Amino acid sequence: MKKLYSNKWVIFSLVLPGILVFVFAILAPICLSVYYGFTDYSGMGEANFIGLENYKNLMHDSSFGRALLNSLLLAIGFICIQHPLAIVTAAVLDKLGGRAEGFFRCVYFIPNVISVAVIAYLWKFIYNPDFGLLNNILKAFGYEGKINWFSPQMAIWSVLIVLIWHGFGWGMLIYYTGIKNIDPVLYEAASIDGADWKTTFFRITLPLMKPVIQINVTMAIISALKQMETVYLLTGGGPGDTTQFAANYLYQQAFKAFKYGYGNAIGVVFILICILVTVGLNKIFQNKDID
Amino acid sequence: MSKKEKTKVDSTLLQRIKKGCLWIVLILVAVIQIFPLIWLVDFSLASSTEMFTNGLLIIPEKIQWGNYVTAFVDGHFLLYLKNSILINGLAVILVVLISIMAAYACRRMRWKLSGLVKTILLLGMMIPIHATLLPNYKIYNTIGLTDTLWALLIPYVAFSLPQGLFLMTGFIDSIPWELEEAAVMDGCGIYRIVFQIITPMLKPSIATVAIMTFLNNWNEFMMASTYLSSEKWKTLPFSVLEFTGQYSSNYAVQFAVMALTAAPAVIVYIILNKHITKGVAMGAVKG
Repeated sequence: MKKLYSNKWVIFSLVLPGILVFVFAILAPICLSVYYGFTDYSGMGEANFIGLENYKNLMHDSSFGRALLNSLLLAIGFICIQHPLAIVTAAVLDKLGGRAEGFFRCVYFIPNVISVAVIAYLWKFIYNPDFGLLNNILKAFGYEGKINWFSPQMAIWSVLIVLIWHGFGWGMLIYYTGIKNIDPVLYEAASIDGADWKTTFFRITLPLMKPVIQINVTMAIISALKQMETVYLLTGGGPGDTTQFAANYLYQQAFKAFKYGYGNAIGVVFILICILVTVGLNKIFQNKDID
Repeated sequence: MSKKEKTKVDSTLLQRIKKGCLWIVLILVAVIQIFPLIWLVDFSLASSTEMFTNGLLIIPEKIQWGNYVTAFVDGHFLLYLKNSILINGLAVILVVLISIMAAYACRRMRWKLSGLVKTILLLGMMIPIHATLLPNYKIYNTIGLTDTLWALLIPYVAFSLPQGLFLMTGFIDSIPWELEEAAVMDGCGIYRIVFQIITPMLKPSIATVAIMTFLNNWNEFMMASTYLSSEKWKTLPFSVLEFTGQYSSNYAVQFAVMALTAAPAVIVYIILNKHITKGVAMGAVKG
């Protein structure tokens, strides 16, 4: 038996496909990025080695700073707006029961299965100053005049609204599952003791949901950092760099500004930031659990 | 009316008001989530000239099914749908197979590097997909993979694999050893154990991994638009991307193509809603 389970060739053959995929699709591109990050390659012609020049430039690049700031804003938007709403909705939905509960759960999640391509263009139309839904709603409330939702001051908020709206169902569903996993005996005990819904929510639901909230918050922060597709289609990072995000910026630098080397340097820094943030968040939440 | 009866009436009234409030909250959230989509379908059935109204929805004078015909034909709907199904189907099969094999090797087999290899494979979870767009474009271009099925399949598998592996290792740990011991006594080899004994027991987790992989990749278009240039392997989101350029002034047709490309996923989701909900919940909480 022991011999069978430590047969090197069998082990090798089982992990080989996974390792090949990892090396070819993740490790090799990262190595290539590191290499090009040290060059002034434009996408065509010669690649000259320029040392740390790209990284030095990146330190003073205000567009990249803006991109990170926008990720922070988005993460705050997720945590302070989307998640509280999602938890409350999940808690309310949990009390409903019956067919209606399943119906609402289904409806809330639908935007999540729709392609970002559709969502982005749909919202472009919703924000349209001439026939857009949003300006028509404002008109119904008596506001005359057209709001330009993609002006330099408004654009980032318009983008945040779309992202918070699109991801709502996902967050809600995970909180909802978390609430369903709470032992109903606890709620019965609370109601026998005469606790009202407020006390029940803050003393039972929230504390028991802590691990779920931690997972959801971690995922929200990371997805805020990795955001690209919606912004790419909705605003392209503009006007100016007001809605810039790191992934969109590196793509633009490489394929539109023809600074392929610089784009790769951004990519390397971006990967490092993502790893640091993921590891950091896991550390923070692990330590809290021990306390 | 005695005092006791009165308080009873009050409390049922209070109950009803509470219940009513719950419903109002839920309906309000539902309207916010779904109204943009109703608006999309509504406008897709109107003609472009009718759109400049003051109302929220339009009642079209004549329902313009023609918008959908244009979207269906000029959006290459069938070709792109077929490509999406094929590429995503293959990605799901590969992710499930590779993750079961690797998970088994890392959790059950005895070798020194098992922990390290598992950690390395899971590292993929932290890497932002979009950072690999530039170097992968270069690699695929050099070895001639751009515009092929592989250009999408390889990264789709690679970026869904870590999560698949993570879920599978968890599930494999919960399968009792005794089953395998009996199989080994009967002279079963490792491959037969993995594929004939372990795999069937993993059915619920295979469903979870499949659903997560599908949801991750079905709507992906950033890699697709970077690595593909001809129609041959383009996926469903391209119907929308290409149309906005081509029919930039015909808004009604653009609405139709958006509704049409969103439809397959929404219909499948509504049919499989319970399973998908379970899959996402399992995948997300454990992942």
